[in-house]
Amino acid sequence: MEMEKKEMASKSSTPISIPEAFFLHLISTLGLALAFWIAHYIFSTDLISDPSRTLFFILVVQSPIVILLYSRYRTDRHQCSYLKAVARGLLGLPTGAIINAFGAIVLGAPIGAQYFLKTLNWSLVMSLFNIVPSACVFGSSWIDWQRLFAYTKPIGTIDHMICIPAHGAIIGAWFGAWPMPLDWERPWQEWPICVTYGAILGYSIAMAASLVLSHQRGLQHVKRD
Amino acid sequence: MSSSLTCIRLTLFTVAAVAFQIIGLSFFVFGFFPVKPALSGDSGSESFHAPTCYSMGNESVRDLPPYDLQSLYQELSGLPPLFDRLILMVIDGLPAEFVLGKDDRPPNKALMEAMPYTQSLLANGIAKGYHAKAAPPTVTMPRLKAIVSGAIGGFLDVAFNFNTQALLDDNLLGQFSKVGWKMVMCGDETWLKLFPGHFMRHDGVSSFFVKDTVEVDKNVSRHLSYELSKNDWNLLILHYLGLDHVGHTGGRNSPLMAPKLMEMDEVVKMIHASAIMNPDDKRTLLVVASDHGMTENGNHGGSSYEETDSLLLFIGSKSHATHFSSIISNDVNQVDIAPTLALLFGVPIPKNNIGVMIPGVIDFLKDTHQLRALQLNSWQLLRLLQKQVPGFPCGSFPCDGFSGDQGYNSNDIMEKFCRLYLRSAFLHDSWISTELSRSDNREEKSEIIAAYYEFLINANQWLSHKATDKPSTVIVFGVMSMFLSFLIFSISIYSIIQESYSGEKQLSNGIFTQHLDEGFSLSVIFILVISMGSSSMVEEEQYIWHYLISTLNLLFLRKTMQFFKKESTCRFFNLFNGHGKVCIRISSIFTLLITGRILRGWHQGGVNWTHLPDISKWLEQSGTDLQLIQLIAVILTTILILFSLSLLGRGMKIVLVVGFNFLMSGLLVFYHILRYQHNASLPSSNAATSLAQIIYATLGVSTVGTVLAVPWIMPIQISKACCRDRNDNSAVSYPLKIGSQSQYPELIYSLHIIGWVYIGSWCLLQLLLQQPVNSVVTLLILMQIFASFLFFSQGMLQQKQWVECAGSLVGCLGKHHVFDHVAVLYYIGMAGHFALGNSNSLATVDVAGAFIGISNYSALLSGILMFIITYASPTLLLLSMVMYISIKNLETAASPQNVDSEHVLKRILGLPCLVPLTINSILLIAYTIVLILMRNHLFVWSVFSPKYLYACATTVCVLIGVFVVATTVTYAYMVLALRKKY
Repeated sequence: MEMEKKEMASKSSTPISIPEAFFLHLISTLGLALAFWIAHYIFSTDLISDPSRTLFFILVVQSPIVILLYSRYRTDRHQCSYLKAVARGLLGLPTGAIINAFGAIVLGAPIGAQYFLKTLNWSLVMSLFNIVPSACVFGSSWIDWQRLFAYTKPIGTIDHMICIPAHGAIIGAWFGAWPMPLDWERPWQEWPICVTYGAILGYSIAMAASLVLSHQRGLQHVKRD
Repeated sequence: MSSSLTCIRLTLFTVAAVAFQIIGLSFFVFGFFPVKPALSGDSGSESFHAPTCYSMGNESVRDLPPYDLQSLYQELSGLPPLFDRLILMVIDGLPAEFVLGKDDRPPNKALMEAMPYTQSLLANGIAKGYHAKAAPPTVTMPRLKAIVSGAIGGFLDVAFNFNTQALLDDNLLGQFSKVGWKMVMCGDETWLKLFPGHFMRHDGVSSFFVKDTVEVDKNVSRHLSYELSKNDWNLLILHYLGLDHVGHTGGRNSPLMAPKLMEMDEVVKMIHASAIMNPDDKRTLLVVASDHGMTENGNHGGSSYEETDSLLLFIGSKSHATHFSSIISNDVNQVDIAPTLALLFGVPIPKNNIGVMIPGVIDFLKDTHQLRALQLNSWQLLRLLQKQVPGFPCGSFPCDGFSGDQGYNSNDIMEKFCRLYLRSAFLHDSWISTELSRSDNREEKSEIIAAYYEFLINANQWLSHKATDKPSTVIVFGVMSMFLSFLIFSISIYSIIQESYSGEKQLSNGIFTQHLDEGFSLSVIFILVISMGSSSMVEEEQYIWHYLISTLNLLFLRKTMQFFKKESTCRFFNLFNGHGKVCIRISSIFTLLITGRILRGWHQGGVNWTHLPDISKWLEQSGTDLQLIQLIAVILTTILILFSLSLLGRGMKIVLVVGFNFLMSGLLVFYHILRYQHNASLPSSNAATSLAQIIYATLGVSTVGTVLAVPWIMPIQISKACCRDRNDNSAVSYPLKIGSQSQYPELIYSLHIIGWVYIGSWCLLQLLLQQPVNSVVTLLILMQIFASFLFFSQGMLQQKQWVECAGSLVGCLGKHHVFDHVAVLYYIGMAGHFALGNSNSLATVDVAGAFIGISNYSALLSGILMFIITYASPTLLLLSMVMYISIKNLETAASPQNVDSEHVLKRILGLPCLVPLTINSILLIAYTIVLILMRNHLFVWSVFSPKYLYACATTVCVLIGVFVVATTVTYAYMVLALRKKY
């Protein structure tokens, strides 16, 4: 399996195939599942009882997966080594966390010492979902960032793979916040539990959608050819 | 240019739509919240005579001294008084289920054991217990009113009587005090608000601290032994709040419930042992009543069985014991308490009473007396029916010639009442006439009683139904009318947009990616409408507004990022040309976002999370000098406004004059705050009042003067060179850029000045009136306005790229940025409304500020001030629409080929006026429908109805604001056109 991937990566510089994208998303999903599994069975906590610790597990499991996998698909591979892409990803993690935290707080996330860890871990995880992949792949190429996040016009498979799950996570988190003001008095209405659920759900759906979309694009390309 | 919709026609349409809206709204409000025609005046001795056509003018009776009046009443009524004094013990929130059980089953064992003495009284027949059904809203004050007056008030009574809470209708306490009773009250201070000056001694406790379940009741009981030993009162009212507080904190099954019931039982035992069992010369009646019940969670306010099931216990002396045992049914209405007590104590039944004497309470009376009591009750209800039904025949023979002489709708109902009444009266009369010759015929008597009750209960049901009745035709008419006005508004908007941009057709490429923000600003309305269906979303509406407007701002940020080029990173020398625009836009969005977040955190509004920390609580608790903050806010506001005025050019004389005026008002407000607002001890409140009046006058005169004068004295043909000079060195002189290009620089300048004067005067007024904590909020809202103007004025770089989307309303509105911007201003206004600490419950209306600068009490003036305080933010944003028109709208309007004045006016005014009207109209209709759908909801009285009142007030606010904007702009335009002509 590893052999196969290396071959693919070495021979195709820009586009990656649909099965490969599927494989990548599968690993991400499995990573998420693994993180929840560790939290539940080894440390016997979950998102509701201890959100910041569970988010931390997700971060620990998911960040190597995302950074290492996406760095393989860096665009400017002539100037940029694999290690440099990994470093970009590592740098993108806190930067993206700041952006996500800003967005969350502006949208109404509570501020205070007791929320600090929760917001920190949540925004790091969100950064893994939306900022880190494109930091690994595109680095500081403003045109690409603008294309993906300001215009939302993904072109190739790798664009779809980055752009659509990132938007899915944000939109999912946005919808996830809606139950918070309701007076149901459930523990999961607290920040950031339902927002995280929304984000993960949106992320997962968007990963599937990105595969379908890039598959359709591919078909269109073939037809046009 | 096919001008299908001329300016005059558009105006006519709009006015018609507004009229439809007002008519529809008033029809709906008076249909949904019926205002019962309350009879004024009190019942007097005439209530002991049969009702006749003409009121008997025996005014002399009213002037009798209390004791004579009492004996007159006794003589007239023919009922011997059964008791001399009354103890009314109100246990707030006690469900009857706790004492009497439900459906003929006794209450559960724990509850039985919690009240051993009361249960033993009930078992021995000394006490008689009833389930007294309370009418919604099941909150304390309306229920107390129902207990003492026997009438069901409408919801609007609460809203209309925000300033005086005293009960002005005829009621038992008023009747008692007429016959010279002495009254004592211990407990909930609501009684003191309802009956100011009635009580000889009183000790009010507040129901404000809901967590306190012990002290509230101790404060009542500590007077008890003293009052029981004193013999000088006739009526003792005890109102225990503790049980309600227990319910609010822990619900029905709270562990504190049993001890609280035991405490209440002790009180009953004490009263019974010392006041009733002790056979001194006074015969005492103890009435234990609860005002309402509670749900499982301990809440109340709605109309569920748990909440309306309130308790009523009559505890008399031992001698009546045997009579209490014969029970017909123990389901009565809460309003029945008033007539029963009135008849027991020999005073006239209150005029608006719709209750029926409780069967079983006077069973021990002689037969004649029982029938007499029923007769008096019937007469009183008959009088009420006469007043409420216009065609109801009067006189002691009401049904003469009643054979359908008029086409009145409810004739047959009236005929039925008539028949029932006449039948019972006839039986009664014949019974009296044969009194001497008959033997003790119980059957005959019970037949009469049954006949009377048939009339009474029918009348009671009809009257109470009428009080809570919602005439569906009126409501449907109201909704239809509102809907019609909405249709006219939206058609007008649609046609304006269609017409304005029919020439500019471009290819679309994906409305959802290109115009996400514009589409979203529309969908904000629909998200709001949907969320209003949930009661907790209504309670926490401030979160929705903030969430949506922040999302919208983030989408604007995303949109702006599309124009952000990497090589044009913000450098200072680069700021004022080219991509500097983008930088200004980005920084203004960040300002909007951050100030928005601070505003959200200022007041933890709503209902469920008010206890969480917020900035205003922090400021108040940490002992920060609020005066200093307030003064700084005044200074900054003044500086900001003066700065924006000076952008026009410091050389202009008008600007100097207006600026000086404004500075003076600012200084006056500053002085007022410095000197008076934080010195509660200062005796010279007169000086403060007159200074506030001076400020009102200064602000009013300078604003009106500016509006009237500026178009006349604005110099025509300002040299364009002058504009260009200033244009170069400052990017923020935004109006000048547009002004120099358009044909109407004078109009722009005038509107610019007028707009800032409006905004500035309104802000200063708010700084004077609002609570000190809110001064910063006012400043922040001002900053938001400033930032959004900066954002809008930096024009979209792809201004011409409107998407053509045939047939789709969303697309048509979405393509138009003016719609977008006006909507955003409206949303900011609503978000600011909640940031000022308002919520959808009537409790947050700031009453304190409504008396600033008013020397003698006036309901109208303080009502206006209250409205100004509550609707500070939406009005501010509507007024800023003048400013918006001056910076934005003229550039599109002033294309050289339409010099037609009507056309220009329509273009500049059309959307800024129509968009708020339309948005408000959508929201109003949505709330109306939600209210109709939720009419049986648990929270209809506590959540949805107050929200609806707010929606109505918002409508008024929008109408006033739009009217001011439209008048101002039209006036300025007309004056300038006139001057140009000559």
